[in-house]
Amino acid sequence: MTAEKLPTDIRTGVLRDEELLVKARGVTKRFGGLVAVNNVDFDIPRGSIVSLIGPNGAGKTTFFNMITGYYTPTAGEISLDRKTIAGMRRGRIRSLKPHEVTALGIGRTFQNIRLFGTMSSLDNVLVGLHVHLRSHFWDAILRTPSVYREEAAAREQARQLLDLVGLLDRQETWARNLPYGDQRRLEIARALATRPKLLLLDEPTAGMNAGETRDMTDFIRRLRAELGLTVLLIEHDMRVVMGISDRVTVLDYGEVIAEGSPAEVRANPKVIEAYLGRGAADQAAPPAAGASPAQSSSEA
Amino acid sequence: MEQLIQTAIIGLSNGLIYALVALGYTLVYGIIELINFAHGSVFMLGSMLALTLFLALGIHGSMPVGVILLAILLVLLVTMTVTATLNVAIERVAYRPLRHAPKLAPLISAIGMDFVLQNVGLLWKGPANQSIENIVPPTNVLTTVLGLQTGLEISYKQLMVAAVTIPLLVALTWFVTRTRQGKAMRATAQDPDTSGLMGINVNRTIAITFLIGGALAGAAGTVQILFNNTTVWNLGFRFGLNAFTSAVLGGIGNLPGAVLGGLILGMINAYSDRYLAAQWTNAIVFAVLIGILVFRPTGLLGQQLAERA
Amino acid sequence: MSGIDDPRIIEAARREAPRSGVLGWLANILDAITGIPGKWRESFRRGPVRTVALTVLLGLGVAYPILALYVLAPFSRNVFPLPLAGDTDLVFMLIFATMAIGLNVVIGFAGLLDLGYVAFYALGAYTAAFLASPHWSGLSFVLLSDVPPGFPGIHIAFWFILPLAAIVAAFWGALLGAPTLRLRGDYLAIVTLGFGEIVPVIFKNLVGVNFELGPIKLVDANLTGGPLGINPIDPPNLFGIKFGAVGGVAPVYLAMVIVFVSLLIARNLEHSRMGRAWAAIREDETAAEMMGVNTVRTKLLAFALGASFAGLAGSLQASYQGATTSDFFQFSTSILVVIMIILGGIGNIYGALVGALALVYVDKVLLAWIGQRMQGFGRSIDNDAIAHLNPASFNFLIFGIVLVAMMRFRPEGLIPNRQRTAELHEAPPDQAIGSAAVLGEAAIASEAQAEAIAEEVASEQGSASQPDAPPRDPDGAGP
Repeated sequence: MTAEKLPTDIRTGVLRDEELLVKARGVTKRFGGLVAVNNVDFDIPRGSIVSLIGPNGAGKTTFFNMITGYYTPTAGEISLDRKTIAGMRRGRIRSLKPHEVTALGIGRTFQNIRLFGTMSSLDNVLVGLHVHLRSHFWDAILRTPSVYREEAAAREQARQLLDLVGLLDRQETWARNLPYGDQRRLEIARALATRPKLLLLDEPTAGMNAGETRDMTDFIRRLRAELGLTVLLIEHDMRVVMGISDRVTVLDYGEVIAEGSPAEVRANPKVIEAYLGRGAADQAAPPAAGASPAQSSSEA
Repeated sequence: MEQLIQTAIIGLSNGLIYALVALGYTLVYGIIELINFAHGSVFMLGSMLALTLFLALGIHGSMPVGVILLAILLVLLVTMTVTATLNVAIERVAYRPLRHAPKLAPLISAIGMDFVLQNVGLLWKGPANQSIENIVPPTNVLTTVLGLQTGLEISYKQLMVAAVTIPLLVALTWFVTRTRQGKAMRATAQDPDTSGLMGINVNRTIAITFLIGGALAGAAGTVQILFNNTTVWNLGFRFGLNAFTSAVLGGIGNLPGAVLGGLILGMINAYSDRYLAAQWTNAIVFAVLIGILVFRPTGLLGQQLAERA
Repeated sequence: MSGIDDPRIIEAARREAPRSGVLGWLANILDAITGIPGKWRESFRRGPVRTVALTVLLGLGVAYPILALYVLAPFSRNVFPLPLAGDTDLVFMLIFATMAIGLNVVIGFAGLLDLGYVAFYALGAYTAAFLASPHWSGLSFVLLSDVPPGFPGIHIAFWFILPLAAIVAAFWGALLGAPTLRLRGDYLAIVTLGFGEIVPVIFKNLVGVNFELGPIKLVDANLTGGPLGINPIDPPNLFGIKFGAVGGVAPVYLAMVIVFVSLLIARNLEHSRMGRAWAAIREDETAAEMMGVNTVRTKLLAFALGASFAGLAGSLQASYQGATTSDFFQFSTSILVVIMIILGGIGNIYGALVGALALVYVDKVLLAWIGQRMQGFGRSIDNDAIAHLNPASFNFLIFGIVLVAMMRFRPEGLIPNRQRTAELHEAPPDQAIGSAAVLGEAAIASEAQAEAIAEEVASEQGSASQPDAPPRDPDGAGP
């Protein structure tokens, strides 16, 4: 899938609501006196690959954690597919629980892999399928035929997912005994098992060499093409970000400092300043790039 | 009205003993996040040792005041030394090897240790209550010495509890806030790994924490014998849970909190004994404990926990 | 959300598991039973010695009560005194086995330390006492019991009480768990301990109650039998066979059936989606929640289901002994069950079974036997100290030492669970995955937030002073 097929105009940022999978408005998170995320507006168009970048401590993961329901925002609202994840309800900001968000259609991976180490690869994926299994404990106790069937179906689906990430032959291996790259892919398979509309990948290529990184990038593209997924990426490897993203949002000190296509963001002096310091920005910014067309309103 | 105040006075005296034991729980929890189940039994053994020493020395209430004071001081010192050493030994044997194990492993080990110590008490003194005659007289100071016309009663015994407990509390506060070792303790409580990197001897700091906790339990044991005149092998379980509840009530990990919690719990016990029924007191204490843990796990003064948990 | 909806997958599942409905269920059970010889041969092929040994052990175990009655007991009486478990000992071994299997669901599967398990045992026992005794002498209600109609009190047949006791215990488990399972592991332990202390106190003290609320009026009411407890409780009864304390081997076999069913239930739970969710929570609660596991509800389920086993055990105890008193339910009993599963191997249902049988045997039979031998020996050499040293009264000294030693030297128990062994012996740092949230240590939100603050602060400072920060982002350490 390429940019032409994407809904309306991803570059101008003017999208109709139904074209947005994720819509976040005025999202703020404070920890005590510290403002980790400040008044961020953020959209993820359906079917796109969007990257969230920024220097260390810019608030990227905090934002991630709010989308997944792990943190409740201090202010603002977040919705997925026009269903509220977090927002004002009965007088204060409330958020869905992480497992409810997962059921709504968000799957994620973790930067520092968090697989269930002493469970087999297959069982790890089966935990991801948990939301979609219906059997009750009395079914389990009695081992009713419906449990047999459901488990058979779940295992079949889990094996398909393992096949998709190329781990079918390792299904009985404990997750902690898999090589690093396989663990990353198993995490993605586990996230896919929750059948997400939106897949959140937290530094999927961290610690990978060039070849592995290329494979992962191709794999993410394939996920979108084959499964119609929308992907939100936190990534530090700029080659990955620039190569794969339809749209890039840059956070710094909890605020959006730039937003737009990879090329625009790359040329934005604020971004260069945030990453390299002021001196570098002065040198590197070509005069024309000052007119960055995709500046977000939330900068104000 | 007088009765209300009198009950409060009784509650406060017992509460001071709770506070001494509660400090042992809170110190240890503050530094290694372990509910030291065995602590109540260290207190129990302390009370047994104190009882044995008083009997061995042949101290009784009719002796001259100077002799009694000297004997109390001596017994206090010996008991505190022994229980402090015991507590350090327990840490060394049962907890230190589990420092990096899953958190519930040392907790289970502590429960095992508690049973061991209870049975040591059982082997030592048998299953029956052990009692001693009054050493400090229960004479009412207010009427006999001060010559007040009042129905209230503050006895020499109660003054003794305060005279032993309050200096210890002051000394502890001084130690933790003013000395180098106290700072090391606070740093280790904040973050053992970083403290280790900063050159603090973490093992030694933890051992010193147990040493102090044990010494306080020994002091509490001595006071218990002087004040309540009795001990028994399973005294530590009930008393320990009361003390632990005090620590939680005040905010576990918080030293002033433990004292405050002890005093409040002493009062709850006293009022419940007096106005409800003694057989419900334990249930009430546990209900308080559960209530705090569920609704305010940080306790009354427990800001520290929220920051460092 | 719908379930799995890909038609190809559904088709494949239907091929793999074609049966449905009650008939299908019965057919599955029949298959399982007829499949036993095949499974035995398969197991024999893989480990003949082990398989034969286990089979013989199982056979001996089942035959033991009769063997003891006709062979071992006469031998012990006439030739040499053996430490033999009598019928009552056996019933108690099996009652505790039921409890150990249940507590293993809570501690072993879900990683929640429950120190007040005895409360549910008491609730089960009092359920039986209330519903099958002359206690409510003002009433007369007999349901399928062999008690003559019109007899004072409620008399419901044990076979109804058994599941009811399980439900009562599970209900109270859920009631206690709902507000407390959010607490961190060690706090949960204390809360459950408190509950375990309160319940017997309530049973002990609810006597001579005066109470008035609207139409309800109690005057000096004896609700629970007080310190004396309740007796006599009707023994279980099937076709005229009584399974009470004087019932010989019959109650032993009844208890065996209950243990067998408990084992099946626990095993089925372990290998279900619930079992997977428990394992996931134990490994990494946050990750499990992020993968869609409703952690609170899943833990609550483990807590309540685990409690129900104690309810079963309690109702059996009360019906078997014909009496129950609150003094029977002490903290030490809760700890005894904890020791059983730690000794046997935490997380392993067969470990729980073996641990329970072994510990009750040692507690009730072996120590007494050793005491008698020592008494005889002490007398024979005229040594009073030895003659009066009764190891049975120091049982908890021994158990305490066992507990400390097990934690230090073999935390995985005698029959380890592979997964649990790996969790208890820390993985080397390069293999460790995610957080070390094992043994149910709950990462509470405030903890994670505190970490996040620290990390955010640290990295803010880092990015301010060092604009060219390395690509490793502590911010990404996540929840």
